[in-house]
Order: sequence, then C-alpha cells, then structure tokens
Amino acid sequence: MAAAIDGVLPATLQELVKKSKVLVVGAGGIGCEVLKNLVLSGFTDIEIIDLDTIDLSNLNRQFLFHREHVGKSKARVARESALSFNPDANITAYHDSVTSTDYGVNFFKKFDVVLSALDNRAARNHVNRMCLNADVPLIESGTSGYNGQVELIKRGLTQCYECTPKEKQRSFPGCTIRNTPSEPIHCIVWAKHLFNQLFGESVEDEDISPDAADPEAQEAAAEAKDTGSAGDAPEGLNEKESEPATANGNVVRINTRQWAKDCNYDAGKLFNKFFNEDINYLLRMSNLWKSRKAPVPVQWDTLLIDGAGSKGPELARQTHKIWTLEECAHVFANALKELSAAFLKLEGNDTLVWDKDDQPAMDFVAACANVRSHIFDIERKSRFEIKSMAGNIIPAIATTNAITAGISVLRAFSVLQAKWEQCKAVYARLRLNGRNQFLVPDAFFPAPNPNCYVCASDPAITLRIDTKRVQIKAFRDEVLIKTLNMVNPDVTVESTGSILISSEEGETECNEQKLLSDMNIVDGVILKCDDFFQSYELSIIISHFDAERDDVLFEVIADKNQLQPKDEKPVEPEAEPSSRKRAANGNDATDDGPSTSKRSRLTEVEDDDDDCLVVEDDDDVEEQVQESVEDTVAAATNKLTVDCPQKTATKRKPSKTLDDEDVEDITEILDSSDEEVGPTKCKRTKLEETRAGEVINID
Amino acid sequence: MKMDVEESAKETGVELTDAENELYDRQIRLWGLESQKRLRTANILISGLNGLGAEITKNIILSGVNLVKLHDDKLVTEEDFCSQFLAARESLGNNRAEASLTRARALNPMVDISADTQPLSEKTADFFGQFDVVVINGASNEELLRIDTICRELGIKFFATDVWGMFGFHYAGLQKHCYVENVIKYKVISKPNEKVKYETVSTPVQREVEYPSYSNWLDFNINAPNYQRKLKRDGPGIILLRVLQNFRSTYKRDPSYKTREADIALLEQIRDELVPNSALSSDTLGLLFAQISPAVAVVGGVVAQEIIKVVTKMEAPHRNLFIFNPETCMGYVEQIGVN
Repeated sequence: MAAAIDGVLPATLQELVKKSKVLVVGAGGIGCEVLKNLVLSGFTDIEIIDLDTIDLSNLNRQFLFHREHVGKSKARVARESALSFNPDANITAYHDSVTSTDYGVNFFKKFDVVLSALDNRAARNHVNRMCLNADVPLIESGTSGYNGQVELIKRGLTQCYECTPKEKQRSFPGCTIRNTPSEPIHCIVWAKHLFNQLFGESVEDEDISPDAADPEAQEAAAEAKDTGSAGDAPEGLNEKESEPATANGNVVRINTRQWAKDCNYDAGKLFNKFFNEDINYLLRMSNLWKSRKAPVPVQWDTLLIDGAGSKGPELARQTHKIWTLEECAHVFANALKELSAAFLKLEGNDTLVWDKDDQPAMDFVAACANVRSHIFDIERKSRFEIKSMAGNIIPAIATTNAITAGISVLRAFSVLQAKWEQCKAVYARLRLNGRNQFLVPDAFFPAPNPNCYVCASDPAITLRIDTKRVQIKAFRDEVLIKTLNMVNPDVTVESTGSILISSEEGETECNEQKLLSDMNIVDGVILKCDDFFQSYELSIIISHFDAERDDVLFEVIADKNQLQPKDEKPVEPEAEPSSRKRAANGNDATDDGPSTSKRSRLTEVEDDDDDCLVVEDDDDVEEQVQESVEDTVAAATNKLTVDCPQKTATKRKPSKTLDDEDVEDITEILDSSDEEVGPTKCKRTKLEETRAGEVINID
Repeated sequence: MKMDVEESAKETGVELTDAENELYDRQIRLWGLESQKRLRTANILISGLNGLGAEITKNIILSGVNLVKLHDDKLVTEEDFCSQFLAARESLGNNRAEASLTRARALNPMVDISADTQPLSEKTADFFGQFDVVVINGASNEELLRIDTICRELGIKFFATDVWGMFGFHYAGLQKHCYVENVIKYKVISKPNEKVKYETVSTPVQREVEYPSYSNWLDFNINAPNYQRKLKRDGPGIILLRVLQNFRSTYKRDPSYKTREADIALLEQIRDELVPNSALSSDTLGLLFAQISPAVAVVGGVVAQEIIKVVTKMEAPHRNLFIFNPETCMGYVEQIGVN
C-alpha cells in the first residue's frame, strides 16, 4: 500500500499506481508473487485469472496457498490471501481459462498493463495476440529453475512474443516408439501409451504394438524380393501370425483393452504379451536389427517364479532407487491390480486419465518403461527421474519466482510512467556473467521481426507438409491449433474462395477425414486462415514434401527466405546477432572472439544427422548447450536435461514416396499443466543463430 | 567427487519423510535430494523483520530449513505495510517479530519458527552461536562489524542486507567456504570418420573460497583512481550504498517519507561530500523511502537463494557485495577486499 502513504513513492508514480487497472494472467508461482507486490505497492484495481486448482506440490513456492487450500481455485484463494495483505485493494478473481471466448479484445482493452505469469506457450501466444490487438502493454515473465526472464511486449515498439520462433516440443516418430526405442524417453512415452491403451482415453496414434508398416522393415522386404531370397520380411510374417497387419500396418489386436479385461488383468499374461510375444514379433523384422542391437524378450515365469506376491507397494515407494527387472515386475503387478480395479469401477465409457501425481499410474509407467528399457538395452531410470520425464516437469523454486515477479512489477512502474527506455528485457541467472552480473538487462530492444507471422502486417508463413499423408482434421488440430495457436479457425482456399474449414460446428465435418491432397491442397496453394476471436488473419503457402520414415509430417517456416537453397543464398549471421548475444548474456566484448569460433561447433551439434525432429522445449537446454560449448561452468543442477543435447531437424532430402495411407503418428510430450514453463525467449539471439545455422536443402 | 558429496550429506543423519518428499518434490528435482537434506538441518537467524526480513523469511521457510528465529525489537509501523506482509494490519504497534509469527508458521508447518524481541545490541556470541546462518537487516555499520567479527570467530555464515525504497544490497561474510559446482563439458562421442556428435559430461568439482571481513567494505575507497573506470561502468549503486549508510550513522535513522524533501536534500549533501560530481541523480534519491514491495522481493529472493547455496554447499555464493539497481533492474556483484 505504498501509494496510499504520501511521500513514499514519487508523486507521479504514486498517482499512476493508485488509478491504474492491472490484469494478472496466472496465479501460480510468479502470479502469487506478482499479486502480493501489486497490493503492497498500492494498486487497488486488479483482476487475476487462472483456470488451475491448488496442488500439494505447489506449496513450496506458491506462498499464498496453504495445505487447507489444496483442490481449490488458485485465482480465488490468491485473491483472499492478497486481500489480507491490503484490505483496501479491489481484486476480481476468475477461475477460468484466459483463452476462453469470454475474454475478448474488449476485456483486455480495460487494462493499463497486463502482467502475464503463465506456464505454457499456447496461453502465452494467445495473450500476446490479445494484447497486441488491444494495444495494451504486456509484461511477459517466465522461470525455469534458477533462470528467469521478464520482457515488455508493446505493439510497434518491441518484438512480440511470437517474433522469434520457439523451439518445438520434443516429439518422436511412431516407429521409434513402437519398434526401435533407443533412449529412456522412448520407453517412457511407450509406457504412457500402454496406460492409455488399457485404461485411458484411447488415441489411435498411440498404438503400442509393433508397427509392421515401418518403412525400414518394408524396404527390407522389397530388397528381399528383388534378390529372390525368402527373407523374413513382415509380409511373410503376417501370414504366419494370427494377428495380420492391416493396410496401415497396425497389427490388429482385437482391442487390447477388451483382451486385457477378458484376461482378468492377469499380470503374467499381460506382461508376457507386451514384453515377450510383441518383442519376438519385432525380432522377426530382422532388417531393423541389422545396424541396431536386437531386443531381448523377457518372460514372466522365469522372472517371478513364485508369482508377484506383495512386495509391489513397498518397492514403489523407493522412488530414488533404480529397480531391478524383477522389482519392476512386482511394481507392474501391483499397479496393474490397482489400476484395473479403479478402471472397472468407472461407469459407461469413462476412462482413467494418466497423471504423474497419481501413484499407481506413475508406478505403472515407471515399471513398464524400465522393463522395455531393459529389453532394448537402454539405461533404466529411477521412478523419480521417470516422473520428471513423463510429466515434463520443469522444476520451479520460490526464490527465482520472487526475483522474477519483483522485476515484473518494477517494469510495470516504468510502463505506467511511459519510461519505455527503462523497459528492456531482464534475465535472471544462477551464475555471474563476464561483467559480474546475474540480473542482466538487455542493452537495447530487438526490433520486431518484419516477417513475424503474428505482428507483421499481412502475415504469411510457408508450411512444408506432406499433403499426401495429412488429413484436414490433423491440419486443423496439429498445425492451426497446436502449432499456430489459433483457437477457432476458418480456412478458405485463396484462389477459389471455397471453404476448407469452418469455425461453425459441423459445417465442414465432411472434409475432416480427407487428405489435403484429396482436397486439392497441393504444392503452391495459398490458404487464408482467419481466427475471428483473436482478430488474427494468416496466409499459409503450402509447400509439399514427401516425408521419410522418421520425418515429422509438417514444419512451419515463418520466414520464406529460409526456403532458398543454400548455394543460392548463403545464410550468414549478420553483425547484429553477435551484439545481441552480448546483450542477452551480458558478456564482455572481449568474450566475443573466442565464443564466435566456438559457436560454429555448436552449429555442428545442431546439425546432428539424426533425422527425426527432436527439439527441446526447455530453454534451459539451450542455455546448457551454449554454456558448455563455451567451456564455461554451466548450471549445476539441470541434470534432468543435460543428457539430451539439442538437436534440430536437418534432414531435408525428399526422396521416394511412401504409399502409406496412415498419417505417421508423432508423439508429443505435452506441457505439464502445473509448472512455470521456462524463460520464454531466453536466448533470442541464440535462436536466431540456430536459424542461421539451420540451412535447408531443397532438391 | 560425487561420492564425497553424498557421503558428507549422510553425516547429517537425516532422512526425509514421505510428506517432505512430496512437498519439496519440485525443488528436489532442481537441487537434488542431498541438498534438501542439508536444508532440513539448517538453523537460520533473521534479524530485522522489516519488509526485506519478511521476504527472506518467506523464501527460507518455504525451502524447508529446520529452524528460523525471527528477531526484532522494533514495533510494526504504517510504513511496514508497504512490504511487510507477514504482519497483519491489526498488529500495528506490536513487536514486528512476534507479529510475524502466525503467517510465517502458516507458510510451512514443518519448520520450527519462534520470535525473539531482545535488542540486537544485547545479543552476544552465545546467541549467534545457535545458528548456521545469521542474516541482519537494517543495522548500523558498527553493529554489522561487531556481529561479523563474532561470526568469523565462530565460523557462522554472515549476511548483512538492506533495502531503502527500491534500492538494495547484501554483503556476504562466509569466511572459508567450501562448495560443489558442476562443471559441464562437451565430449565427442562420434567415431573419427562420422559426423561429429557430442555428449554433455557433468563433473562435480569441489571448491574452497575465502570471504573477507566486513571491515573491508568500511575501508573501501570508492574514490580511488583505479576504481573509477569500474565505477562508471557499473553505475552509481555503490555510491548510493555509501550515502545511505552514512545517512544512517549520521542521523541515527533512515530517510523518512514524512520528511521526504528535506531528507532528499540531506542525501544530496552527503552525496556531494562523499563523491563530488557523481552520476547519482536526485531522481534516484527520490526512490529511497520506506521499502517498496517488488524491489524487496528481488533482493529478498537473491539473499534467500544465497542462504540456500551456503547451506547446501552447492554453487558459488556471490563474493561478496551484491547491489541491485531498480531503474535498470541490473544486479551485480562487487568484490570488496578480494585479491
């Protein structure tokens, strides 16, 4: 209530604080701190929105919440607690999603400044668009571990949140998950899919059975035919097997869920099915194992001679121990028992929902992932570690949140006074930079990206997409909604004006299952997309490519210059990025020499020949990579992520067409819903460098 | 090396309960189980329950230490409501440490929290000796020097810290401090004729560092010719700290919002005497009244993070003078008396 006491704040600031109307988006780790700072500073007109409820694991940092509040609305409890600090404040709390159509541009226009404290990119993108449209200054913040970031987004002055491309969520091709896992995360994703197959909402592209349509195995079949040898190609296999492959290659297991139920969830039968029979099936696709180590099936009876017994619950509590194979089997049996009991109690078509904080669900995934890891000779992990990976947990701590929220509200002071020069982005770090700083303001405002597909006038993107394998529904859900963050898009074909996708329910339902190419959406076609709610229009230029085995099926290219072949237009880092790098990292000018030469090494790392698109979501990883490349001492505690060096899609050789009808299933690890997801644009410059290095070859 | 870390943590003889594992899950994922066990045994003194004291207290209690002693002989004033959120409105006129107890305990019922209202000047080595870390807010330089000396003799980690308005600092007196830092390097894992692939390798490295005594700051000459280039680069924050500490020792109080204009004039006078023609503007001197919540949150967050580093013996604590500039939001570390 500083503004309520004359003489505490300078008079102009005091008046502005008293009369300003502020929106806080998110009442989590940063939001709680922001709200406290606002009421104590003397803001009296505050609205706060959050759709989440309070969880026990929030209480170590979201200090407006206590044990008795678990399960209640974050926004409402935050309001109550903040009012006890300053009863004179007026706070309106919304227990709701900020992307709901109730909060349109007119809602945002009411505010003098918006402070966002969100935990996921989709909502951040949305709030960015709303604030740009409403022309309200937005102070965007994020933390991840010891790292924090605050930046101002103001139309016409700064970059918008979407001016720089964000690293995509890490995703994996279906055949890696189903046939050829090579990392613990592959087995963890598979185990989550197995959970869903048995108890969860059944998703078609989460099949866990061997994928007989794996192009690599098929190539082998073709080769085998050519050379006249009998081979042991999947086709031959299918005839012998009682489970024939369908046209899309999925082995028909007449409803895994029903089969498991008919077996009375017999632990031994299920275990043998998933970890013995299916593995034997995979072994017969011998081409897969020519250059890989072949999996070794395991058998229930040899593992647990005396059956499962009752050790499971006790073992499951040893979360930091790496369970032996036998221990995994015990935990599996116990989790299966609990989950099946819970599942059978459900009514109608209800299903269980996998949750990292649900004991048996997490036990099940940890046990199954480790058994599969054992089979494929992949390192096994403790339940604690698996929870981090399966739940995509980005650790958050009270101190970083407090520091970040403090900077956020100090920036709000500057915004209200229109002291724009004082509003440069600030980064909080664990370790000192070359100038002995760890709270590091940027040296200047990076200019808005003229090709930004959100804040540029007449925004357009190029979409590389396999039009022969992507259906209209997937185009809407995966590309427009999940990737381009629209809420309710309308799409028309520019040349003909025909409606491809309508935001009116049911109007274009008949198109949904058709492939883009069936609808004549082929190379060169321009689509006009319009999201009325976001007041957002975007042109999409389709660029067809034939996806290979491990390719993802589409990629958004925001800057069309990127499509230029390498030798026609060599991409060179401009002078600016290096100075920007200095701004972001606060390094001394003298540091630039060595790090420039080392940066080329970084590019090589990113040009990893691994041809599936594996990009980290977490900016921490970037930080890690950069720091390590510069041979500096990097953050100590990000062990959870350091073993996944950043990789970027680089394989761009369109080659032969696959006649596969099925849309290749790409598995995404979704945002965790309860964590502050990381500094949003930590390394602006770093990203640009990445782009510069990421040269795309088009034959 | 990693084994050493684990071994020494075992010496604490602490095992976390299921409830603790659950509550501290997210932070354990950041700093590890051993660090959490060390926090579990730490006893912390927070002296001076102003807004900054409240922020540090909040963060430290949330982190899951063993014991926090709230110490203050001052009473809650109207000014405290600018940032001291642990004291309720109704507690106006009551002792600040006692007024903070209820809300402090609600933050984390697993931490032992109590209050002490005896004046700081009466506190001797016996008292400070009960703690692993001692944090002193808002004390005079004479008092800080006395306590730093006691802490040096007893091997207790000492922090002096303050916020005036939006400006803040902390001074770390950690004597000889050992910690572990993970050094991460890239290792080539590809074969010679393949495309180059890397793997990150993280090695814990044990380090030992000396922290000079508080007297080094009192003796530090900001007008020294060889310091001027640095002073120009890092801005007038360090001059501001000098001016404010000088004001406190001259007038036996801090600048007050009740006499705002007069006190700004006094500050200007001290500034011009200490460092003629400094870059410290009179506008900045207008930001030094009471304790402004967001700035206190930044400094309190930094100090608490330093305490966590010290207790867990993970990562390098700042050596040794931290200064926060509220206008740029730059936070940097000045090495005072470090060779």
